[in-house]
Amino acid sequence: MAQTFSANSHDTAALTARIEKRWAFLMVGIISLLVAVVIFTSLHWAMMPPSRVETINPSTLHLSGEFVESNLGSAVEPDGSITVRVVGQQYSFTPQCIVVPSKTLITFRVTSADVIHGMLITGTNINSMVEPGYISTFKTEFKQPGDHLMPCHEYCGVGHEAMWANVKVVDKDVFSKMALNTRRLTCDF
Amino acid sequence: MISNKRLVLAHFWLAFAVFGVAILLGEWQMFIRSPLHAWLHNPDLYYRSVTAHGTVMGYVFPTLIAMGFGYAITELALDQPLIGRRWAWAGYTMIIIGSIAAVVPVALGLDSVLYTFYPPMIGNAFYYIGVVLVVVGSWIWVALMGINLQAWKRAHPGAPVPLPMFANVAAAYLWGWTAVGAALELLFQILPVALGFSNTINAGLSRVLFSWTLHAIVYFWLMPAYIAFYTIVPRAIGGRLYSDTMARISFVLFLVFSMPIGIHHLFADPQVGSGFKFIHSVFTAMVAVPTLLTVFTIGASVEIAARLRGGKGVFGWLKALPWDNPQMLALAFSFVMLGFGGAGGLINMSYQLDSTIHNTQWVTGHFHLIFGGAIVIMYFAIAYDLWPHLTGRAMRDLSLIRAQLWLWFIGMIVTTFPWHYVGILGMPRRMAYFDYSAPGAAGEAIWVVMSTLGGALLVVSAVLFLVILYRNHSACQVEPAPFTFSKAIHEPVSLPLALNGLGLWVGLMIALTITNYGYPIVQLMGLPDAKVPAVFVGAK
Amino acid sequence: MNAHRPRLISFRNPWFSASVGAISLLFLFSAFVGFVWLPSAQDDALFKGLLNAICSAAGRPGAWLGEAAPAVPPKAPVSSVVLTPGMFDGASAGGSIGRGATLALRCTMCHGARGVSAANTPDLAGQYAASIYKELRDFQSAARTSAIMAPMVVGLSDQDLRDLSAYYAALPRDGGSGERKMQPVPTIVATGAPMRNVAPCESCHGDMATKLGAPWLGLQPRDYLKSQLEAFAHGGRHNDISAQMRNIARNMTPDEINASASYYAGNR
Repeated sequence: MAQTFSANSHDTAALTARIEKRWAFLMVGIISLLVAVVIFTSLHWAMMPPSRVETINPSTLHLSGEFVESNLGSAVEPDGSITVRVVGQQYSFTPQCIVVPSKTLITFRVTSADVIHGMLITGTNINSMVEPGYISTFKTEFKQPGDHLMPCHEYCGVGHEAMWANVKVVDKDVFSKMALNTRRLTCDF
Repeated sequence: MISNKRLVLAHFWLAFAVFGVAILLGEWQMFIRSPLHAWLHNPDLYYRSVTAHGTVMGYVFPTLIAMGFGYAITELALDQPLIGRRWAWAGYTMIIIGSIAAVVPVALGLDSVLYTFYPPMIGNAFYYIGVVLVVVGSWIWVALMGINLQAWKRAHPGAPVPLPMFANVAAAYLWGWTAVGAALELLFQILPVALGFSNTINAGLSRVLFSWTLHAIVYFWLMPAYIAFYTIVPRAIGGRLYSDTMARISFVLFLVFSMPIGIHHLFADPQVGSGFKFIHSVFTAMVAVPTLLTVFTIGASVEIAARLRGGKGVFGWLKALPWDNPQMLALAFSFVMLGFGGAGGLINMSYQLDSTIHNTQWVTGHFHLIFGGAIVIMYFAIAYDLWPHLTGRAMRDLSLIRAQLWLWFIGMIVTTFPWHYVGILGMPRRMAYFDYSAPGAAGEAIWVVMSTLGGALLVVSAVLFLVILYRNHSACQVEPAPFTFSKAIHEPVSLPLALNGLGLWVGLMIALTITNYGYPIVQLMGLPDAKVPAVFVGAK
Repeated sequence: MNAHRPRLISFRNPWFSASVGAISLLFLFSAFVGFVWLPSAQDDALFKGLLNAICSAAGRPGAWLGEAAPAVPPKAPVSSVVLTPGMFDGASAGGSIGRGATLALRCTMCHGARGVSAANTPDLAGQYAASIYKELRDFQSAARTSAIMAPMVVGLSDQDLRDLSAYYAALPRDGGSGERKMQPVPTIVATGAPMRNVAPCESCHGDMATKLGAPWLGLQPRDYLKSQLEAFAHGGRHNDISAQMRNIARNMTPDEINASASYYAGNR
């Protein structure tokens, strides 16, 4: 049976090589297209994974600096944007309930006081690691009001399964009224 | 002809025995955190189980398979007895000692750090020492594979290295180098703290070092499956390998591209810059190329088999395939799972889409589909093919084998598809229990139950597999025909130097490690501020 | 002979030049896109300019928050203790048990002669040194308020607090944890309430795991435990670093507070 293939060995060898070369070029083409799509979205929507490396001492977060307890939560900046500062620790985020306005630029600043944590906000693309020694900074915008869950998504010890926070997105005007009374907003009560 | 049958059998049996235990742990984990079971009163039991399941399935099981298969290939493909038999047994012993040293403290609850270590969480030192022993034991195998190939080359100057051995040594070198990342993490970061010499650790640096191992290890798991695709399946179904050259190119591309891409696991991490994330994203796309080449070459090889059996037409030849042949069945299932898993993988590696599913159940679904599905089903196929040659007894339970493969395929699909789906809904992975009554989580319950049932099918299939292998030891004795690997349509007469050795490709692998990992590692080493206090597991 | 042998590492070898060339091109292309082109789409100040873009994309640490409103200072004192696994390393930092025993004479009235008290005050025998030390420091800084404890810690030096902590940590615990083991473990202690972010008590305070700084709760007085949980819940007690215990207590129901306090108190 094998003779059918080797009968005209030289020709068939060239033929098989030609076909598989074509396939290889096609595949490299598909892969290049995928990479091109990634580049396009990166430029067009300025979407990029975190790149803002910044270090911090996790043992002294509570003593001074921007992660002291009284400075956690949502802050209204002079330019109207919101900065949300969050500390992750075994086994809760502080604040436990984050409140932010819709249709507003929001900058998250998150770090950990002990081990590696993670956070994602359900129903959104917000997803970040939270690591001791580093601050995660990322920007986002919520399109509409609504309630979301915010679980810790990286194993952080035996209480990990209970590390769930909440995110409330409220209407911009409602938020402005809330912000009149206090400088750092949370929905912890 | 295998002269060291006991050595090969010892590796395979130990591998499948630990696999049998670990799969029970896996199903138990799925069951107790599903809505079918009340919340576990000691969540640590779940995390111990995850640590043990992952350590066994990720490190011990595939390493033993690669080693046993590698020893068999060395003798079968080179037609010479294994050089370094004593060393091989020494490596095997180290893996046994290492596994025991690792699993005992895990069972005692001293090392619930999961198999990904997660410093600054630090557990009992014996777990890490055990993992190091397993790796060092496997490095003996890496060295032996290289030594055996060199000895053969000296005896056969200029002759083409048989494809199975070429691929096998590529897998060994890949593993030898990729394990270095985790070894550096364990030896220089974790163990000094676990042994009490230091109190602080750079968690970000540890994650970068671990990512060096974490992704390429998947390709190390994959290698035996691909070797079977190229060198066993075409022969077993009565066909020819379409192209020997393309096979070699695929294996060297794996060697070059599977390592310098691990930072795609760190897309959501704060300690690595976006430039390196992008480079790793592009190289991750490249590692899809050898798989896509394989799909073509193997697809064509299978078509040859069908046409030799009288298959006709553009698609009609599919009917002429030997579907009752376990190798054919395993290959088809493996390709289907590889296709779905690969498509999911393209999402994971994408610079932007990753953020929708990072660290959710999607990821669990993804690597179970690729590893547990596409790869492990080929481990089964390898065992079925080799067993008669190892035991000298006939493998007659063909219908049982088919049932086993079908069950594994269906079970894996039913297990992993719902996982992908709940991942998109935002269900995090690795939690001991969930409140399915909570608003926002209620929609997940039914899917979690479904995947638990899929897991039960997998357990049944695994039991069936072990029974089939065990029964073979008491089947009637036969003199099996000499073992052969697939023949290519055009067997190589002479090969270019680059495809008859791995020097060039190992060089490129190391060069890319330096370009893609060098700066992030050196930079993080130079950040003393980022050293953070260790958090001891269960500390008193 | 050697001159004619084909060599692997040579640009005359098409395999070598093609593979090295292609991979170099791929690397240079992706480096250009990742370090220069894509950062140009970002509007952070640290990405502006070619050198900044390259350094930031490479992961150079920087201060990434531009202009921000100044930090809000705390209204009441907060704990200033830094908890690390090495906090008691070294001869003096570890504390002297003998000196601690002398200093502890002033504590015996409420906490008992051997750190086991009969009244509604916490047992200190066998308590973790880190926990005792932290609470004493917090009493000193008024991060934790107590009319009884505040005057007791006035004038004690940091070394005194370390010695006291070492002494009490070294005392044997009151036997009787066996009694507690006989009781069924309440759900809140074993599993917590995940969606309310209540972790199992046992994951920080228990036999399952202990978090640095979190006290051992075995056989503490029931009323004491209950009052502290309620104080955390209402914010009256706020010396838990970054609200880690207030986050838990605030979300517990009165029944859960009762159940957990009773469980850890045993028969007390």
